[in-house]
Amino acid sequence: MTLFALELRKLLRRRSARLGLAVCFLLPLLWPWAPRVEALFGIELVSGWQLPAVSLGVLVQFLLPLFIAVTCAELIGSEVSGGTLAPLLLRPVNRTRVLTGKLLVALLYPLLLVLATVAGSLLAGLVVGLGPFTGGTGLGPGFFQGVGTLTPGQALGQVLRASFLAAVMLLPVASLAVLFGVMYLNTAAAALATLATLNILRLFAVFPESLQRLLPTSHFDLYVRQADVTPGLILLLIYTLGFGVLAALAFERRDV
Amino acid sequence: MTQPPPEAPAPALEVRGLHKRYGRHSVLHDIDLTVAPGEVYALTGPNGAGKSTLIRTVTGLAFPTSGTVHLLGRNVHHDGPRARAALGAVVEAPARFHPEFTGIQNLRMHAGLAAMAPGAERPDMARIREVLALLELTRMADRRVGEYSLGQRQRLGVASAILARPRVLILDEPTSGLDALGIGLIHRIVTDLAAEGCAVLLSTHHLREIATYAHRVGILTGGRLVDTVDLRSRQAAYRFRVNDPAGAAEHLRRLPFVGSVGTRTPYALAHLGDEARVPDALAHLAQGGFRVLEAAPDHFDLYEYYRERVEVAV
Repeated sequence: MTLFALELRKLLRRRSARLGLAVCFLLPLLWPWAPRVEALFGIELVSGWQLPAVSLGVLVQFLLPLFIAVTCAELIGSEVSGGTLAPLLLRPVNRTRVLTGKLLVALLYPLLLVLATVAGSLLAGLVVGLGPFTGGTGLGPGFFQGVGTLTPGQALGQVLRASFLAAVMLLPVASLAVLFGVMYLNTAAAALATLATLNILRLFAVFPESLQRLLPTSHFDLYVRQADVTPGLILLLIYTLGFGVLAALAFERRDV
Repeated sequence: MTQPPPEAPAPALEVRGLHKRYGRHSVLHDIDLTVAPGEVYALTGPNGAGKSTLIRTVTGLAFPTSGTVHLLGRNVHHDGPRARAALGAVVEAPARFHPEFTGIQNLRMHAGLAAMAPGAERPDMARIREVLALLELTRMADRRVGEYSLGQRQRLGVASAILARPRVLILDEPTSGLDALGIGLIHRIVTDLAAEGCAVLLSTHHLREIATYAHRVGILTGGRLVDTVDLRSRQAAYRFRVNDPAGAAEHLRRLPFVGSVGTRTPYALAHLGDEARVPDALAHLAQGGFRVLEAAPDHFDLYEYYRERVEVAV
């Protein structure tokens, strides 16, 4: 048994984690039966392959960060309030290893949420149809208008690319929630601090563009970008790593 | 050539000059204590005295402002994983577990964690079932911990602490929430482990029960260890209920192995040095014409001593 496996098992037992996954999977099932979805998003749905873009567009700016902030903060906070962190640290285990296990699980959670969203969207897409179509997935060139006809294989490729980018894009949120979890040892405070930080960073839109480019929140549209995404990816991974290292350093000598 | 005197065993637990502050508030002041292998050291004191902070610092959960803690010669704050390799501990009462997992699942989790020590063997299922049986939890083994009573959770905590056969056992209020039978069970387990060479540090408020099996008692008040009582040197006294306590005490004084005598009507009290001297003392009293109605160890009244000591400290 590795610490990662143990932490993953605990994560999947958490109500907050299950609720987040359930919402991400079930919410897209509404789209085929929602008469105003096209008007609301200003698109004409011609294929089920377009539903992942609709779902990610709805979830990625607020609900996914919320789920990630709460669940990842809970990885530390609920163990402190439940009294199960101390027995873990009384064992002959390096604190950095304990935190690394938690951090890896925290980083996996955005991917699980995105996969649940895409799975629910494609299931709903069966109603609309998942065959070849003329238009765009909303996640590739030309967005929803597209640049011609897309085969199911091409559409799937665009959805998988966007899913990967969306998951990476949300990694700093998970990492930041773990850092605040270590600092506050309390779920509510850590989740609130994470969401407040994200919102404050978004307010930095009032500052020059050169500064904005360095903010993680400026790259929260990475999954739909068609130009070179490498600089954005690298920056988000630096934030993820930075928050993770700070969390590990803070945890190393934190009274529990 | 004379043999060198036998060396005292190296302490299993050694605390030196421990200070702990939270901001401007000092919680522990200059604590020094050692626990030898096979010794049961009980830590007692009023609420807020710093017992839990001391236990958390000794186990490495909290970090001292200054001072050191060594478990089996390893610094618990600088070499934590190796220092804790032989540690079993429960630091909260009742012990906490993942309520959604069963007792066995929780212990398997702890067995896996215990095996992370360098060179450690993972306690197998037979050992898990053994400790569950020892703590009389076999019936609850496959039930979720969320369904356990407080006492059952506390016993599961002790099961978890002894799972990997620790050489140092640290328990914070181990009998809290337990019924009389549960308390007796914990006493028996602690005594057996100490007899096998395990060093035991426990905190408790139950002075009269701890006096029956602890070797030393540390009294902590206001964050200072104000006294350490060696109960072994105080438990060689015996009391004899006799028809003439004062005469019997004077008669016992003549015996060469009797250290001191006294009376507490209807008893004559005598320090015999060893339990094996009791028959000799009884025979001596009979020869002197005293009728002995009862003979029993006269336990040191730790509670009275503690009360006086804490009042003086305050």
